[in-house]
Amino acid sequence: MRGNSSYAEMTIRIIRPSWEREMKMKAWSKGKKLSMIFVTAPQKEKGTVFLKRDKEVWNYIPSIERNIKLPPSMMSQSWMGTDFTNDDLVKEASAEDDYTHVLLGDTSIDSRICYKIAMTPKPEASVVWGKVLVWIDKKDYLQLLAEFYDEENVLVNVMKASDVKDLGGRLLPSKMEMIPVDKKGHKTVLIYDQLKFELPIKDDFFSTQNMKQLK
Amino acid sequence: MLILIAWRNIWRNKRRTLITAGSVFFAIILAVIMRSATDGAYEGMINNVVSFSSGYIQLHQNGYWEERSVENTMKVNQSLLSEIEKENGVQFCTPRLESFALASANLKTKGIAFIGIDPDKERPAAKIDEKIRSGNYFNNANDDGIIIGEGVADYYKVKVGDSLVFISQGYHASSAAAVFPIRGIVSLGSPQLNNNLAYLTLNNARRFLSADSLCTSISIYLKDVNALNDVATSLRTKYQTRGIEVMTWKEMMPEVDQFIVADRSGHFIVIGILYLVISFGLYGTVLMMTYERRHEFGILVSIGMKKRLLMAIVFLETMFVAFFGAVIGMLSSFLLLLYFHYNPIQFTGQLKEVYQEFGMDAVLGLSLSPSIFYYQALTVFVLAFAASVYPGLKILRLKPLEAMRS
Repeated sequence: MRGNSSYAEMTIRIIRPSWEREMKMKAWSKGKKLSMIFVTAPQKEKGTVFLKRDKEVWNYIPSIERNIKLPPSMMSQSWMGTDFTNDDLVKEASAEDDYTHVLLGDTSIDSRICYKIAMTPKPEASVVWGKVLVWIDKKDYLQLLAEFYDEENVLVNVMKASDVKDLGGRLLPSKMEMIPVDKKGHKTVLIYDQLKFELPIKDDFFSTQNMKQLK
Repeated sequence: MLILIAWRNIWRNKRRTLITAGSVFFAIILAVIMRSATDGAYEGMINNVVSFSSGYIQLHQNGYWEERSVENTMKVNQSLLSEIEKENGVQFCTPRLESFALASANLKTKGIAFIGIDPDKERPAAKIDEKIRSGNYFNNANDDGIIIGEGVADYYKVKVGDSLVFISQGYHASSAAAVFPIRGIVSLGSPQLNNNLAYLTLNNARRFLSADSLCTSISIYLKDVNALNDVATSLRTKYQTRGIEVMTWKEMMPEVDQFIVADRSGHFIVIGILYLVISFGLYGTVLMMTYERRHEFGILVSIGMKKRLLMAIVFLETMFVAFFGAVIGMLSSFLLLLYFHYNPIQFTGQLKEVYQEFGMDAVLGLSLSPSIFYYQALTVFVLAFAASVYPGLKILRLKPLEAMRS
């Protein structure tokens, strides 16, 4: 789906009951193991970089000229104040290997016919969820909805995808919403403004040295 | 006439008078010093803890006390502050912006609390400028440096001129990161504060947290500490409708208040016992005097002295002795207290640690509050009055013939 390498420009909107905040960023990725995120707005946070190499996440903060490797204890905390956790950055791609899948039948979302699939983590997988339900569009194989349940089978997060359109030559949902169920009025919206695929990016682009030079 | 007789009577037996007056004198000194020391300790405690950390009354955004986060802040401008300072009983107020950050230096990192303060307004409040051990206080309201507790400096092994790196979460979940040069190192008494607290200027803290014109609290200092509840009530009626919560230090730090209440009632019992001892002493002498002078009373009554007048004389005598002892006792205890008030006793060793745990200076500060003195005086007079009741009754029932024969 994501191809070997990609470049994205996106807007992230944090929505809270009493306020909203918007951030803009650029993101590069190569394969499943390498990715880099560069914050471009707001001005105060501009230049902040996140680098993911395999299971490690590094964070460069220009105002203090420090590069921090996020410790395991911080992985479950909020990423940049959003409803995503630092863990979400790292874990996302391992869905196929770490789960057993059961087809639950067909439903439709936004007039698209979807497969409803229950994914249960394998015993040896390091997954925090007890169960994940996903809805995959039958025609274009897009994940339109995902529900994350904890070990007590309580719904924790809902991730909605919508506004399917042509991005970088592929048909993809351009808007993703992360909704924590237990916090009323909380939501994080991610919008892809631009996506490009199959760009030639060298592995050493994803290095801690390069984090300080990104523009 | 009666007064003159009573006055001469008490000096007929100087030794007895002096002993009785002496017992009153020592009791008063003990009671006054005890009350003064405990009240002084409470005053010191309130002064140290309250004025240093919270102020007597604080205003916050509704809900801040429940969830102390940067999101629960309120807009504070100069006009709001001057409005509060015009309130009855308010001496001055000072805005603060408090939060936590991960602070790092020399490969060490830990979480510490920081408070953004208005350097000038904070001078009379927390008196940080007087507690600086090395370096300097903030130069101006825009100073971008940091003042840290001694314990913090020891932990990171940093000194004035080094820097601390701060990472935190700002207003509206923005990221906050900055390097602050250390301007000063301050000694904060309580280890809890000393090891975990840092000060920024308010403007700098606002920049750091992207919290323009916001504050977590306004600390209010009072002209008269005893007007705490009155001022709080009037502030409450005015600001509650604007979504601002008004809290007194007793509500914010109930443990300190409860400690004082519990401790004070303990001391009441001890003082009660002390007075019981005095009253028996007084009563004993008065009783002895009555028996010693039965013969004399008998003669006086038989030659036509009215029993009521005799009773009045005895009563006056007792009062004189009590008054004499009380005045000298209070005078000398006042002088004693005055000396120790200005030359406080420093505690050492274990007691010092106990004091520091409560966030207080390990000093026995004595209170000079006038209530301590007049309460003692009042109690002594009540006791003297009670002690003269029995001899009075005795005189009323006096049979002159029997009395003269004894």
